Amino acid sequence: MLRHCALLLTLLFSTSVFSSSLEITIITSKAEDRVNVGKSFAGITVKPHRPVIRAVELALFESATLFETLGIQANIRQLDLSPENDLQQQLKDIPPSSLIILDLPLDTMEQVAPLTDQMKLVAFNVRHSESRLRDSLCLDNLFHTIPSDRMYFDALGQFLVHRGWRKVLVVQGTSKLDSERAISLVESLEKFGASIVDQRTFTLSHHPDDRDKNRPDFLTGGVSYDVVAVIDSQKDYGRYLQYSTRSARPVVGDVGLTPTSWHFSLERYGAPQLNERYRQFKKNEILGSQVAMTDAEFAAWSAVKLISNSLNSRQVGANLDLASVLQDPASQVDLYKGTRGSIRQWNHQLRQPILLSTSEAVIAVAPMPKFLHPKHYVDTLGLDETQSECQLSRN
Amino acid sequence: MNKGNSRRLARAHTRCYLRLSIQAILLFSLTFSIQAFSATVVISNERSGDLVFMNESGETTDVVKLCGRPRGMAQLKSSNTLYIACSDDGEVIEFDLKAKQPGRIFADLPGAMSIAIHDSTNRLIITNEGSAKATVLDIPTGKVLATLSTGHEPDGVALTVDGGLIFVASENAGLVHVFDGMSYEPVKNIITNLRPRRLAVRDKELWVSSEMGSRVEIFDTTTLQKIDEIIFAPRGFRSEQLTPVDILFDSTQKTAFVALGSANHVVIVDAVTREIQKYILVGRRPWGLGLSPDGKRLFVLNGLSDDVTIIDIKTKRPVRTSRTGLVPHSVEIVN
Repeated sequence: MLRHCALLLTLLFSTSVFSSSLEITIITSKAEDRVNVGKSFAGITVKPHRPVIRAVELALFESATLFETLGIQANIRQLDLSPENDLQQQLKDIPPSSLIILDLPLDTMEQVAPLTDQMKLVAFNVRHSESRLRDSLCLDNLFHTIPSDRMYFDALGQFLVHRGWRKVLVVQGTSKLDSERAISLVESLEKFGASIVDQRTFTLSHHPDDRDKNRPDFLTGGVSYDVVAVIDSQKDYGRYLQYSTRSARPVVGDVGLTPTSWHFSLERYGAPQLNERYRQFKKNEILGSQVAMTDAEFAAWSAVKLISNSLNSRQVGANLDLASVLQDPASQVDLYKGTRGSIRQWNHQLRQPILLSTSEAVIAVAPMPKFLHPKHYVDTLGLDETQSECQLSRN
Repeated sequence: MNKGNSRRLARAHTRCYLRLSIQAILLFSLTFSIQAFSATVVISNERSGDLVFMNESGETTDVVKLCGRPRGMAQLKSSNTLYIACSDDGEVIEFDLKAKQPGRIFADLPGAMSIAIHDSTNRLIITNEGSAKATVLDIPTGKVLATLSTGHEPDGVALTVDGGLIFVASENAGLVHVFDGMSYEPVKNIITNLRPRRLAVRDKELWVSSEMGSRVEIFDTTTLQKIDEIIFAPRGFRSEQLTPVDILFDSTQKTAFVALGSANHVVIVDAVTREIQKYILVGRRPWGLGLSPDGKRLFVLNGLSDDVTIIDIKTKRPVRTSRTGLVPHSVEIVN
């Protein structure tokens, strides 16, 4: 059954005369496990996971002055789907020309995105980095503001090659997701000239027969390498590898030095101001000093800001035909990462710099120096136009 | 010794003499220039919290510890007084350049960032970065005349020559807020390209640097409409790598200088024809700009290499790079 939450926010002043409205619908799933998500064994939180609504509210909070100037009223509503019931039926009451934020688990998102596309609703994938989705969900009205795995891993590959750490030992988990991501990682590393000295699989089993796959010193022994790259989507095992490798070498990937789209400690490009606003803009819900947007939240924030920032640069006033705003190659967004973001028109991926960070600091911002692209500064990250199966711009 | 050898030797001698005489001329001109330039260069350094004093040749003469994160500065015309925004302390310091000591302190100015001064009416306009406003301060009494509401992250601030209009750039909102300079009522919000940073007024033109839009936009101060824009494209760069911040006009207002941030260049622009004259390579992330009172030397602050590049305006070439404090932000050059 469709159940709209009450309007959560009306951000603009009642005295203004509104010429148009921006309706934002955040679609979530009732079936999603909201208790154990992002947690490892024994309830240890290894990946912070929050609904993206706070980031969407932040983007509207920031856009309030501009929207007032343009006479735009913005509203957020939430649609909590029951994935076992008829999805089409549950989507039908979404206001026309809404902006859709898909805060959904992967399988539900893969079902919902084609439906919102048929309804000509502009929707954003803000959670799923699987590179294959950029091809399998090649839809006119779907945009991806979360980076693809290839963008993350290309950033890591550039970093390693820039540092001269070219001999990489890849250590990965056994899940399907880990295998897929490891393929992506290897492609990225080899693209920039790093070599894989070995590719090994870890297990969580502590049985003595499995020790070559469980004890970090055995798992990382017997070969010479500059760096260990870990693929461990669940962060069950990988976080124990640092300081335990056979050779004294850095650990990168899902632990150690990690490619991310956002970080609490970024100290340049106005990022401290954005982080402070995120923590403090809701006066009754102030967050702690090291809490920052997750990559999914940052992607949701980017989606709304992409709309408001593009209204800036187009200078056409309150033109809220969202599809035409986004399909304009001049659409752009200030990402607080030193280089503006924009849409790759061929597969609707947001191009953006990628941060390489430890838990404490941003060590580098990719693209790394000397990795040059003929057209766009950041297009050395991720699959380029000629490599993409999705060719929306040729339509 | 054969003929060829002696000829080569003679040529070498000539080269040697030439080099010596060039060195002599350089030495002479350097000595001369040190004597000729008498102005003092004052640099605020965000991270080391101090002011670095230099002579015009780029030699540090003094370092004065000042406050938490000193950033924007403005000089009261023909006086020894400099106003300095201390962002982390939330105050503006009235600094006596002769005594090299702070005088009055204007407190309760959270996130004070950039300062504009209007001499004839004795007012300071200060942007408050963290709190989405700008403050108008009466210099003689130190009283707050008005608090102006802006979008988030207000940075650049400027006034028309007659003080009739106040302009404040909001980086986050992508707006330049226009206020009446007397009643302080909002007049208009000008929509700009991404991340407007610094403002400069030239005759009837308002120049706005768009850091993430990689351009300078020019608006008419009477109609408040956009009249033109300057897009930067030094060789070897993609558009999005150009992140302009500070804009400075020379005293004739015929030449503009723009610091290009991540592109590590400063650009000289013919302000009348709006044509680019030259891109000059400087240090890392140039933002702050200052011009010597005689207009002969441009000082470019490189925020990420902690130094200042001094450019000779006549030859359009850098002549020296000198160490500053940590993260230099603004420069004022005073006689």
